[in-house]
Amino acid sequence: MSPSNSSSIIGARHPTTFLVWLRRREALSHAVLAVVMFVVLLPILWLISSSLKDAQQFYSHPAELLPRALSLVNYRYMFTAIEQLPVYMTNSFILAFGVTAIQVFCAALAGYAFARMTFRGRDLIFLMIVISMFVPRGGGLMALYELMNFLKLRNSLFGLILLFGSHLPVPIFIMRQAFLSIPKEIEESAMIDGASRWQIFWRIALPLATSAILIVATLAFVGVWSDFLVTFTMIDRDSQLTISVGIRKVLTSGYETATANVPELRGKFASEAADAAMLLFSAFPVVFIYALLQRWFMKGITEGAIKF
Amino acid sequence: MTTPSAPASQSATHGRGRSFVRKDLPGYLFIAPALLLYLTFNIWPLIRGILMTFTDYRFVYPDTRWKFNGLANFAKLLASHKVREAAIVSAKYSLIVVPTVLVIALATSILISRVHRGASFYRWTVYLPTILPVAVSYLMFRQLYAPNFGLINSLLRGLGVADPPSWLGDVATALPALGMAHVWIIFGFPTLLFLIGIYNINAELYEAASLDGASRWQQFTSITLPLLKPTMAMVLILVIPGVFAVTDPMLILTQGGPQGSTQTLGYYLYDIAFIRGDLRLGYASAISLVVSLITAFFVALIFRWSRERD
Repeated sequence: MSPSNSSSIIGARHPTTFLVWLRRREALSHAVLAVVMFVVLLPILWLISSSLKDAQQFYSHPAELLPRALSLVNYRYMFTAIEQLPVYMTNSFILAFGVTAIQVFCAALAGYAFARMTFRGRDLIFLMIVISMFVPRGGGLMALYELMNFLKLRNSLFGLILLFGSHLPVPIFIMRQAFLSIPKEIEESAMIDGASRWQIFWRIALPLATSAILIVATLAFVGVWSDFLVTFTMIDRDSQLTISVGIRKVLTSGYETATANVPELRGKFASEAADAAMLLFSAFPVVFIYALLQRWFMKGITEGAIKF
Repeated sequence: MTTPSAPASQSATHGRGRSFVRKDLPGYLFIAPALLLYLTFNIWPLIRGILMTFTDYRFVYPDTRWKFNGLANFAKLLASHKVREAAIVSAKYSLIVVPTVLVIALATSILISRVHRGASFYRWTVYLPTILPVAVSYLMFRQLYAPNFGLINSLLRGLGVADPPSWLGDVATALPALGMAHVWIIFGFPTLLFLIGIYNINAELYEAASLDGASRWQQFTSITLPLLKPTMAMVLILVIPGVFAVTDPMLILTQGGPQGSTQTLGYYLYDIAFIRGDLRLGYASAISLVVSLITAFFVALIFRWSRERD
């Protein structure tokens, strides 16, 4: 509150003094945090800024964070000259949606069974799934490669969907928690009314677990979109590649061949600045989802981790 | 779709069968899709991966596959200079990344815990690097580290440094440079975990301490740190395996170079398994098993430390 008010009761440990003290602290914290956030965001801001600079501006010394004139030349180049980009992007969407669908479907069913149904070995199977997450992976990627080759699923987007779709322990865990938190009475009264298990699951339990489904879906989508190592290892055919792996190929493959398609842009853009545009483009979908669904996302990453 | 309500008349004659169909079968049907995927893509590779470490499995020569050679892989890797050198690089890398992540995450989380307005924006921003595709992040850092037009060297030149390092091209700086990019990517999650830990500390403890005349620093060392011990352990357990077995930044940016200065165990085994000519999956999986055992050892130590009472 007002300073005179608080100074009159100094030392009295009055709530007002505490508030003033708290606020002063908070201002300092905000100032330090602003610097921290700027440093965290700087690489991304620099990327955005670079992507909006034409060749002349990009190569000018000293480098400036804010471009003086905005130029879309890099984006024009990206959309006209890099033919693989739409292919990679489509593949990424197919993969991410496929994995999300599989994970939500499998985890919802299994989570419900582990939470509400009785069958022999239920708790043992659930425990095994949880524990197996912590067992060190001996062969890791090598064994996966061998398996995918054996199943003839290497170099196939469908194979990757199954592979990432199988990352189920955390989703099952989240769904189980969600179903456990639904009051049993709701389902019991439906059971008395003669509803089958499936009807109870589909009509009553699942709609009440929407927020858990959203959590599982966002985590799955973002996680699989961002993968590099597994996709890089399993896919070496260009037509099946995702954007998160293909981006490296597009950036490092020569600009000379690419600019041959659009001679009018030659010399007008810096290759680094065009790279920046492509990097932003390939990260855009996950950033968009992260911004849109941040509430579910935060819930997912915190709850998922804390409850384990 | 699965309609687990089987007509009772069908199995009414067999008591056991009937109870299985009515009691157990629906549950099994519900978990079947998950279990099938999980067993195929997780448990199978888990078992085969361990078996593979005892073979001379070279992918390009089908006749070598599943040819068991006992402990030959382990004898070989223990005697190998390359493995030893890579282990040292991995250890260095972990010593750069892990403490830095801890300190930055802890400091950031304490700052965020002190503000009320805007806290959700800060949390959002802190986690943003983690959701970006890893390849995008590392390629972005390649731009920042670029010797001529990179942001970092532009800033350094602006500050009067005449001859700034070439970062990823320099034996002395390549490993720490990759490490800092790694820190940037992963520090968000530990920050959120610490934040939850701090939010769970009873505010009355601090009030009582400040009434007793404890300074901010004393409050931090005698309240915050001890109460965050379980969180600290969890952060370490989550961070160490990924950092010690690091592969991504080397694969994306340096290929182990310059002059082997970023050749970690993770990259070295990846190179043996998937990049060099004969794809020696057997030997590589033996190295990978040793890497997991080393991390498991540290995880166990941390777990014990977190259980200890002082």
